Amino acid sequence: MTTTATTAATAHRAAPAPVVSFQQINKSYGAVRAVADMNLELYPGETVALLGPNGAGKSSTLDLLLGLRTPDSGSLTLFGTTPQRAIEQGKVGAMLQSGGLMDGVKVRELVGLARDLHPRAYPLDRILETAGITDIADRMVGKLSGGQEQRVRFALATAGANDLIVLDEPTTGMDVSARQTFWGAMRRQADEGRTVLFATHYLEEADAIADRVIVLQRGRVLADGTSAEIKAKAGARRVTFDLDGTIDRDTLGALPFLTSLEVSGRTVRIQSQDADATVHAVYGLGLYPHNLEVAGLGLEQAFIALTTASDATATTAEEAAR
Amino acid sequence: MTTLIKLEIIRALRNKKFMFFSVIYPPALYLIIAGGADSTPIPGTKLDMGLYYMVSMAAFGAMTAVLLGNCEQIAKEREKGWVRQLRLTALPGRGYVSAKIAAAATVSLPSIVLVLIAGAAVKGVRLDAWQWAAIAVGTWLGSFVFAALGVAIGYLVSGDAVRPVSMLCYFALAFCGGLWMPLTILPQWVQNIAEWIPTHAYAALGTAVEAGGAPHMKDIAILLGYLLVFAAGAAWLYRKDTRKA
Repeated sequence: MTTTATTAATAHRAAPAPVVSFQQINKSYGAVRAVADMNLELYPGETVALLGPNGAGKSSTLDLLLGLRTPDSGSLTLFGTTPQRAIEQGKVGAMLQSGGLMDGVKVRELVGLARDLHPRAYPLDRILETAGITDIADRMVGKLSGGQEQRVRFALATAGANDLIVLDEPTTGMDVSARQTFWGAMRRQADEGRTVLFATHYLEEADAIADRVIVLQRGRVLADGTSAEIKAKAGARRVTFDLDGTIDRDTLGALPFLTSLEVSGRTVRIQSQDADATVHAVYGLGLYPHNLEVAGLGLEQAFIALTTASDATATTAEEAAR
Repeated sequence: MTTLIKLEIIRALRNKKFMFFSVIYPPALYLIIAGGADSTPIPGTKLDMGLYYMVSMAAFGAMTAVLLGNCEQIAKEREKGWVRQLRLTALPGRGYVSAKIAAAATVSLPSIVLVLIAGAAVKGVRLDAWQWAAIAVGTWLGSFVFAALGVAIGYLVSGDAVRPVSMLCYFALAFCGGLWMPLTILPQWVQNIAEWIPTHAYAALGTAVEAGGAPHMKDIAILLGYLLVFAAGAAWLYRKDTRKA
């Protein structure tokens, strides 16, 4: 089974009440189940990445969390109350992927509006500075580049003392250096003790910033833990070596703990859940591998391994049901 | 909330193209329609065509700017996701609707004043000072009703349907309220129904003043009623809007 590793949640069992709580949440659009029986709890101070392929239910999950949509069933609370109430109390700041900006106004005016609407707003200059938009404060909103727009959205999400910040694919449209700066701003939010939840499909982003990663697939939580735990769960080692003579694929395919096998020319690439045992078995076959390398799997490969494994399980289950 | 109202007004003033056409269109239309009108009184009233059309075109022009302007703008803002972003703030529904009405009122006031100036300067309409003031203020305040209706329609209908639906409402209201032609030439039963249409009450504010009296309480009550219904409906639709686009 590939469902929830609740390590992160377990570690917090003694911790204070959850910031976000999803209990058996369901949401369908017509025949599509966007979110299926989701149970999720976020705790104060966590930086959580919501990871998943397109259509995995990331945006739907965030929409439900923010009260932009209502679940079909289940109970959902933010700070022990409804999303709407929590937002009115100024506890939540959010930056939406689909969130447009008002046009016909200057950046400074728009941020001023966000301040006016926030019960616990920060001084204007501080917000502009945190988001790195002091230099574009007098530009018209409609004339910004994609990356600048994203920073303005971030400013709107951090205009006041929020306890939870929700960011949906925040670095889309940013170049590498802008992304680095943005991560810095995000980390500072987390360092100030805020709970940060962000959806992303950049795995390096999840790996570098989040202390907890939740992998979604088909509207369900596929894995939940630190990025190291997610990697371990996916069969986390990659073994590469060269062989002389003819290579017998079937023999290699029967190696223990093997999760994938790729042969190109003389080079063999293996993914294994227990690299030590696999390599030992290679020698046991009487083979002599050259240039042997054993490396950890990146989060990206781990992610692909996890989601494809789950897809295969789902397909098999569907076929069995027929 | 006051910042939003202020920003919406600033935006309306900065939108030069929209402002220009919204302000020029009503007096131009007035001069074309009332151009050949003579001073024979319209059947059933004491007003001639020049007077009648001055008020009804001021009303029609103001309604054009606020109703169509709001519908279009809101449809665009919903599509762009600005409204979603706004819903993640503590802004109450009434704040949003007030801001939209305020922005619309910024555009409708100059258009009304221009129609009245055209009436006085080109059509030789002569009224007492208090009548000019009462017509201008009444027509301006009355336009709030249609601004609120614009917000409601902008939320009720989405995407591509906004334009046809708003145009349909706009023409139906203009025609049935007698803004294009006096309803006194139509059968009595049509007139009885028309009395309850907001545009009819709207134009009646001005025509009552032109005839030398105060606006009828009934018309004021009808307009207030519609304003309340449209504004409350718009605020409710804004808060419950959960569509993505």
